[in-house]
Amino acid sequence: MNLLVISAILAAMVGMRFLKPSMLAWIAIWWLGMFAILEFGFAVPIPASVIKIYMGIITLSLIAYVLTDPERVEQVWNPIVAFTVEKRFQPLLVVVGLLIPCVVAWSIYADMTKSKQAPSFARTVHPAPPDQITVHDTDYPLGFADNPYRTLEASAPEEFAARVQAGRDVYYSNCLWCHGDVMAGEGMFAHALNPIPTSFEDPGTIAMLREAFLFWRIAKGAPGMPDEGGPWESAMPAWENFLSEEEMWNVILFLYDFTDYKPRAVELH
Amino acid sequence: MRWSHSSRVLVLGIFLCLLAGAVAAQDGEALYAKYCSQCHGDSGDGMGVAAPFLKPAPRDFTSGKYKIRRTPTGSMPLDEDLERVIKVGLPYTAMPGFEKVLSDSQVDSLVAHLKTFSADFEDPEALGEPIEIPSPPPYTPESVERGAQLYVETGCGRCHGEIGYGDGGSAPTLVDDWGVHIKVADLSMPWTFRGGGTRQDIFRTMSSGFNGTPMPGFHGALPTEDIWGIVDYIVSLGGGTVEGAPEAPYTSLLVSQGIEDEVDLSKGAELFVGAQEAVFPLVGQIIEPGRNFFPATTSVSVKAVHNTEEIAFMVRWHDMRAETIGINGPDLRAPEWMAQLDEIDWASVPGGRPGMTPADGGDEGGLWGDAEGDGGGDDPWGDAAADDGAEDPWGDAATDDGAEDPWGDAATDDGAEDPWGDAAADEGSGGDFWGDEEGAAVAGPTLASGPETEFNDAIALQFPLSMPTGVRKPYFLFGDAQNAVDLWFVDLGSDGIQRYTGRGSAAIAPAEGGDRVEIIKSYEQGVWTVIYKRKLVSRSSISFSEDSFVPIAFSVWDGFNRERGNKRGLTRWFSLYVEPLEKPDPMAPMLKAGLGVLGLELLIVFLMRRRFGNKKLIG
Repeated sequence: MNLLVISAILAAMVGMRFLKPSMLAWIAIWWLGMFAILEFGFAVPIPASVIKIYMGIITLSLIAYVLTDPERVEQVWNPIVAFTVEKRFQPLLVVVGLLIPCVVAWSIYADMTKSKQAPSFARTVHPAPPDQITVHDTDYPLGFADNPYRTLEASAPEEFAARVQAGRDVYYSNCLWCHGDVMAGEGMFAHALNPIPTSFEDPGTIAMLREAFLFWRIAKGAPGMPDEGGPWESAMPAWENFLSEEEMWNVILFLYDFTDYKPRAVELH
Repeated sequence: MRWSHSSRVLVLGIFLCLLAGAVAAQDGEALYAKYCSQCHGDSGDGMGVAAPFLKPAPRDFTSGKYKIRRTPTGSMPLDEDLERVIKVGLPYTAMPGFEKVLSDSQVDSLVAHLKTFSADFEDPEALGEPIEIPSPPPYTPESVERGAQLYVETGCGRCHGEIGYGDGGSAPTLVDDWGVHIKVADLSMPWTFRGGGTRQDIFRTMSSGFNGTPMPGFHGALPTEDIWGIVDYIVSLGGGTVEGAPEAPYTSLLVSQGIEDEVDLSKGAELFVGAQEAVFPLVGQIIEPGRNFFPATTSVSVKAVHNTEEIAFMVRWHDMRAETIGINGPDLRAPEWMAQLDEIDWASVPGGRPGMTPADGGDEGGLWGDAEGDGGGDDPWGDAAADDGAEDPWGDAATDDGAEDPWGDAATDDGAEDPWGDAAADEGSGGDFWGDEEGAAVAGPTLASGPETEFNDAIALQFPLSMPTGVRKPYFLFGDAQNAVDLWFVDLGSDGIQRYTGRGSAAIAPAEGGDRVEIIKSYEQGVWTVIYKRKLVSRSSISFSEDSFVPIAFSVWDGFNRERGNKRGLTRWFSLYVEPLEKPDPMAPMLKAGLGVLGLELLIVFLMRRRFGNKKLIG
């Protein structure tokens, strides 16, 4: 959220209450304000096609608002008629009349000569896991599986700490290159990859996932993802080729330990 | 009791201060254990668990040899030098910048802890006078030209190459103080400079040198204006970014330019004049067995052109030396990492094998079994190590008494102005690497001192075998079972091109029949150039049609780095856009739309005036 833009537009809306501009100006300000919020109000840009849809809805709503009351129709219609008819507006009418075709022509030019953008694939970041996976001949029902060593945290803290340490060794001799030293997804190979490596510090990743989900993503890697995850372009290895199950569970303990996040619990039905 | 607003703010403020204090009080030792020890080792000896996978190796803090400093060669770094490296890291190494993670006071406590690892920090002799970095003189064509001359006179090209591409004659033989081959900086890629790429950064590196490596410091040996001259020449090699740090010019789209002429390979690079250059970053293949943790090549530069019949690609990349007398292939088996380390004769390396001992070199991750069964029996690294000093450049340099040769001078001449002489005279101070090196040539080990390797340099372009119909592409690592890729593989040591069809790294087969791809190749001044040509349309593999996007990826093998098969540098999928040969002219549609809108306006105004013209509505 870009608070600066949004508060500026809110201020303009409040200002209108006091200034009581004409109906035409009121509509224009509403339309532009909504557009500015959609275009600049959010940190993550909204796709142009979505903005078009929203602006279409807003335009229709404004028209409907005007049409529901003959007085409002008058207030909008009269200035338009005056602008096209009255002599004192004539110079401005000529300018506007020439400007609009120029803008249309320019937008066609910009559209036809814009540099090409490589097509992109909107992947699902956390695709749905299968019901069950098999790793090194062991079956894991992902809905129920949990980290077998998680309970040690309470029952045997020393053994738990040793497992975190072992997981740390696994991390720094395997995961470091992409996910980075501080789990922020900024490893030395990250710049060349797309999708970029996951940042475990991001509250939208391991903090909201269950350990079994991580186990699936680690063990099966990119090749184990369904198509919506874009398995053909993710560089995540299938770690079952390199690591034992124990090592994978240990490294999961380490990820939560380093980031201070707690895994989401298994939901009991 | 009700608290007033201000007292609540006060309590909150005190609480926050206490919290900040508690965080800052986390001492250097604890921070070191959390953030540093995995690479640099619990005792600061550079033997952390990640060390066997890293090159350059993590710093051994007990040695007291620091590369990035603002002090003369052989001296200890300043606190600010250590702070800088901790904050911004070392580009293109595993050392990250911790600026976002650690506060200034945490960095301070870490610096204090690092200094406990080496007694040299207590030794007043080892603490050098800081080198002042003056504000730089203007960057002018004259300073660049003068720098170019000094670059030659000073002998920079011996290691860094004639035009700075890291291909100097002695580059393959350079070793650091630990006997490990060290890659010379490619001066045309300032974004990879360990000490940073701004003019001031390069000035610092030029002045101080890199302790523990063959890079000398020129402080006191060259006048300041000469150092600035060489700095400016280096800046010009890297694209001439004068303000701030240069950034890597990586892109994600390759545009093939339509041309009217014939696609004539004999024109070489001339054919591609005017085509847009795309630079794609490469990283090591560490996804499947045969992992390559430190690839030699960091990027490829690509251009493409086409006419109505044919398309041509020019791929270029920098390589320290051309390896052309061995073999290579995308299907050669590369052993798993620990087995690759076993190829090195660690007995000859001081301190022995770094980091952890291999649990089981043979079977580790042996997805395709037989991890160690790689083609060539001979181990050039072992050979090289056995072959102590025979290829040693410093030995060479000492005998090579050319009058103009600063290196030859060094051995005979102790002149105060001569950096090499300085170093030789200054033997006791511990930072003298020329002395060290000459010692190493006799007693110490050298590793891989420029041996012939059994593997050739090689390149492969990768396309989907057929154009993907939906979003799904073949797996970017040589395809998958359902979606094959077409590999245009060129072993630079053998003639022509070999096309392979990849259905996964373990299922690569020579392509059958199909379309002829012609190539030409050359190696010049540290740059490999390979130009490919093929018909646009193909029946058995992908066709390049106008105004379409085709996935494209690259693999590069460096023979010197013993890369083969899965041990390689690779890119992700990028896009090739084949420009239409006849670009549509925007003029007609612009006029049409503009006049149309104008006509509509006139009609509206006309109708409005006819209807409302006589009424006075407002005012």
